[in-house]
Amino acid sequence: MKQFEADILENQVIAESWRKLVLSWDESAGAPLPGQFLSLRVSPTSDPLLRRPFAFSGYAPSRGGSGSKVSAIYEIRGAATRLMAELASGSRIDAIAPLGKGFPKPAPGETPVLAGGGVGLGPLLFLAERLTAAAPAATPPLLLLGIRSAAQLPSISLPAGTVVCTDDGSSGFFGTPVDWIARNAPAGRVRLYGCGPGPMLSGLAALAAERGWAASLSAEQWMACGVGACMGCALPRSDGRGYLRACTDGPVFEASTIDWKSR
Amino acid sequence: MKADLRVRIGNLELANPVGLASGTFGYGSEYEELVDLDAVGALYTKAVTLAPRFGNQVPRIVETPSGMLNSIGLANPGIEAFLRDKLPGLRARRCAVFVNVAGSTEEEYLEVVERIETAVGEPSSAGERVGVGVDGYEINLSCPNVSHGGLAFGTDSALIERLTRALRDRTKRPIVVKLTPNVTDIAEIAKAAEAGGADAVSCINTLVGMVVDVAKKRPALAAGTGGLSGPAIRPVGVACCYKASRAVRIPVIGLGGIMRADDALQYLLAGARAVQVGTGTFVDPRCALKALEGIRTWMEAQGLEKIEDIAALLEI
Repeated sequence: MKQFEADILENQVIAESWRKLVLSWDESAGAPLPGQFLSLRVSPTSDPLLRRPFAFSGYAPSRGGSGSKVSAIYEIRGAATRLMAELASGSRIDAIAPLGKGFPKPAPGETPVLAGGGVGLGPLLFLAERLTAAAPAATPPLLLLGIRSAAQLPSISLPAGTVVCTDDGSSGFFGTPVDWIARNAPAGRVRLYGCGPGPMLSGLAALAAERGWAASLSAEQWMACGVGACMGCALPRSDGRGYLRACTDGPVFEASTIDWKSR
Repeated sequence: MKADLRVRIGNLELANPVGLASGTFGYGSEYEELVDLDAVGALYTKAVTLAPRFGNQVPRIVETPSGMLNSIGLANPGIEAFLRDKLPGLRARRCAVFVNVAGSTEEEYLEVVERIETAVGEPSSAGERVGVGVDGYEINLSCPNVSHGGLAFGTDSALIERLTRALRDRTKRPIVVKLTPNVTDIAEIAKAAEAGGADAVSCINTLVGMVVDVAKKRPALAAGTGGLSGPAIRPVGVACCYKASRAVRIPVIGLGGIMRADDALQYLLAGARAVQVGTGTFVDPRCALKALEGIRTWMEAQGLEKIEDIAALLEI
């Protein structure tokens, strides 16, 4: 974990309200893992005040003349992300990273199934890339992307075989990634990997529980510090014994440890 | 001229006036990789209560204009786990450590302090700090996010004086009483703490606030209300320090919305002897260290030798 000034290398439009941010990476912070995140100070003023967490969607170590880079996919949702969308390449931004715990590797015999809802796609793209690199001879992992409609389909290269699911049926499968997996799950032991909106995560957790699968889900919660000090990003434990912190206990949790349904 | 940044709180000397506010820096280890904690004057720990507390339901935080609202609910592992798991790490600290103590009843406050005193022993008369782990106490009489104790205590001056006196009987270490701005007259509350034997008061704790999510037609925080912090409350904090410092002889420690040296200097000019950085750390973990450097630079530019000289400069 390190705080550094990152160069903004790209901040490109990839769908109507989606952007892909590419930043220079300080190697001395260590290599980020899929599921980990960085926190950015979006504005030097006090409004918006708090830093914003973003999951890595990729990491490229330095090669030849170019330095190492990380990327994150984000959606313009409020004042902070609106400001972020205006940041031009060539400017700099205060980053703290890498933060949190990443996705675990699939256990031997487990078939990974990756589901990203909206910009929750980001960390799963990173994971898919890593799983493919780790086993180049094997079939690439199955990746699903859930979006509201075809208009949200991002103009980035998705891994071959990516299943696009739309809420309105305007592209690919008519339904959610949870619906698709429930009908078309591969045989054998599956490990679900998911990141996306609350209903999708609770749907994946319920499906995993019903089928007896393992599931590693990345949670989203409002954060103040991002390093485990403030206790703000708490998530209720499923056993009723208090809370876990999204920032340092997660953001990736074994699905059965969290009560995904509570607000 | 080189500025002398040392300040005294009771019988304790702090290396400089900048501290890290309770609840924003955990017990010191969370920010270890990002900040040289030993460069600050003091660490005020996350509150410790007698029994472990899970804290409030979620969501617990929401951003507000130039601020944030929190309702954490004093989530902490309790005194037993504090002594076992957190104290060893605090013993390695070179900055002063004030343990923030909270409770639902007067007895709970007393018992937490007694347990810590038993664990760390009498303070060294030679003023040797390193290795002990606890240099003083900050008594949290002002948390707005718990249903018993906290704020209810912080608005009752007779109770504050009685509880401070009872704590005074149990420790020779400095006692800082943390005050709430949610009162009619903070000067009266500060006087009660001084009368009870407090060595300093810190002000302000958060202001009670509420954000309503219009789309969901419900409060943004699960607890309904929370405590407002950040730059939005700074003018309130500065005014409270100004009033409190004119009402008591003991030092006033100012906090509320300090983001940079200028903000800290506002507090010091208004009468505070030391300051704490809280929400600012979330925004920039090095906020307190940057403020400290800025205070030093400003003092030297002004030709000031001591922190105490700053308050004398305020022209009314």
